[in-house]
Amino acid sequence: MRALDKISNLLNQVLLWMAGFFLVAMILMTGANIVIRIFWMPIRGTYELMGYFGAIVTAFALGYTQAGRGHIAVDILVLRFSQKTRRILNGINYFICMVFFAAVGWRIAIYATTLRETGEITETLRIIYYPFTYGVSLGCFVLSLVLLVDLLRLFLGDREGNG
Amino acid sequence: MNLALVGILGIIVLLFVLFFLGMPVGFAMAVVGFSGFAYVVSFDAAVSMVGIDIWTTFSKYGLTVIPLFILMGYLAFNSGIAEKLYNTAYKWFGHWRGGLAIATIGADELFAAICGSNTATAATMGAIALPQMRKYNYDTRLSSGTVVTGGTLGTVMPPSVLLIIIGLQTEQSIIKLFLGGILPAVLLGILFILTIVVICRINPKFGPAGPRTNLREKIKSLTGVIEALAIFVLVIGGLYAGVFTPTEAGAAGVILTLIVTVPSRRLTWQGIINSMKDSLKISCMAFVLVTGALIFGRFLAVTRLPFIVADLAASLPVSPYLILTIILVIYLVGGCFVDALGFLVLTIPIFFPLGKALGFEAIWYSIIITMVTTMGAITPPVGINIYVVKALAPEIELGTIFKSASFFLLACIVCTIILIIFPQIVLVIPNMAR
Repeated sequence: MRALDKISNLLNQVLLWMAGFFLVAMILMTGANIVIRIFWMPIRGTYELMGYFGAIVTAFALGYTQAGRGHIAVDILVLRFSQKTRRILNGINYFICMVFFAAVGWRIAIYATTLRETGEITETLRIIYYPFTYGVSLGCFVLSLVLLVDLLRLFLGDREGNG
Repeated sequence: MNLALVGILGIIVLLFVLFFLGMPVGFAMAVVGFSGFAYVVSFDAAVSMVGIDIWTTFSKYGLTVIPLFILMGYLAFNSGIAEKLYNTAYKWFGHWRGGLAIATIGADELFAAICGSNTATAATMGAIALPQMRKYNYDTRLSSGTVVTGGTLGTVMPPSVLLIIIGLQTEQSIIKLFLGGILPAVLLGILFILTIVVICRINPKFGPAGPRTNLREKIKSLTGVIEALAIFVLVIGGLYAGVFTPTEAGAAGVILTLIVTVPSRRLTWQGIINSMKDSLKISCMAFVLVTGALIFGRFLAVTRLPFIVADLAASLPVSPYLILTIILVIYLVGGCFVDALGFLVLTIPIFFPLGKALGFEAIWYSIIITMVTTMGAITPPVGINIYVVKALAPEIELGTIFKSASFFLLACIVCTIILIIFPQIVLVIPNMAR
């Protein structure tokens, strides 16, 4: 459990830094496009690259956001339940979301593989874009891992903490 | 089973998952939408729909506006721009009765013009204004209420994250939504100030007058507004003139905020890192909400429920304004229990087609809904701004903050009524941009 927690934290930190890197790239690319457009002509492919970079920014922050409880939830009723009931309800919640995002990650990976095998390229720059699709798939898998750690912590955390 | 009935059942299941499992709103909409779609169409189609929808939403150019505007707001939040704004407002209004509270609203209005989040606005201004008001013996009922409600200006005044999400979800022009929010935000600020004036007239001890400043000091302090105004004019002016797309405006706003604050060392390296981390978290949350709503919307669309409800409401022999009142009451009550953004995203698939069927102008309708949902941020039991202020001033009782915010709730309601009677207030600037 502790090892899994460490792996999950490390993955989230690495992906978060990469998300930050892509966010900075988005700002610089847009800024450069605005300036160069005034004096010469727009940078080709800015729009499509922005979309793909944006996908990585979001997907790579999925696990970090869940680990930091950053998603909006309605806990007004849940907080009124007993500790035990709350634990069971949270467990069901984590389990459903974990399975869902693992399935989504798997489906997106299949889609990315199809893009790779068919040699799909972007309209303007004519470059492959399946690596970004794999990136979104990875983000979903890491979110699923964070939810698995949350689930395990819910039922094993205390025991490990005492031991 | 009747498809509309499946849709209604889907909504009931969604509410159950939200309230009893405490599942995040975006996840819950995606999971229930997926399950419903699988039931109505097929499992394979649902799996395929969800995978493709997540990829296409995440990689959509239009949505890249979200992280950029959020980052711009967080950079402003960590940079100390707000302190200068407050100082200027303080120099001009501080010597009036309730002047510090008025200065807080004035600074809120200006800060909201560069920061699109109500919690960030409340947190920033709370940290600056609450100690000042404490120093001049302001009653906590006035000081906390001012900070809590002033934060709501952040969601109406552009660039607003809430308006961006509405624009993306309903496929409206974000630029026009932004322009539509300007005058309502100004009106709301004026009504907040009037509320402070009335409170201090009834009970002068609530806001004793501060020290007087001379005209020279007042004029000198205006330099504090220049930075924020420059950023606002570049971003919103660029959008209005058609120079930028919303995404470009966000990036330009980030760059200008950095240019203004980094050389003067007000924004440190740590401040930039913190801004990036917070922005990534908040924009990821927003993306998940938008994607979840899209998936849930697909399920509702195959059940045809939104269209049936819209047609039914449009055919009722009652005034559309009566139905609007019912919708607004639902938003007001719902906003009390669910976070404003979450509740908006949750309800738009049903209430937006309904508003369209009733013949309401989309921009006006969006601003009205935003205004009402925002009230949820200052009402019990989940008023997010209340908890922000409580964290900043733990010595103030939660009940006191809720009570103090209720003084200003009337101003929000009056503002909404004025906007319903005079829709031109919302529409005049977007119409000029046409």
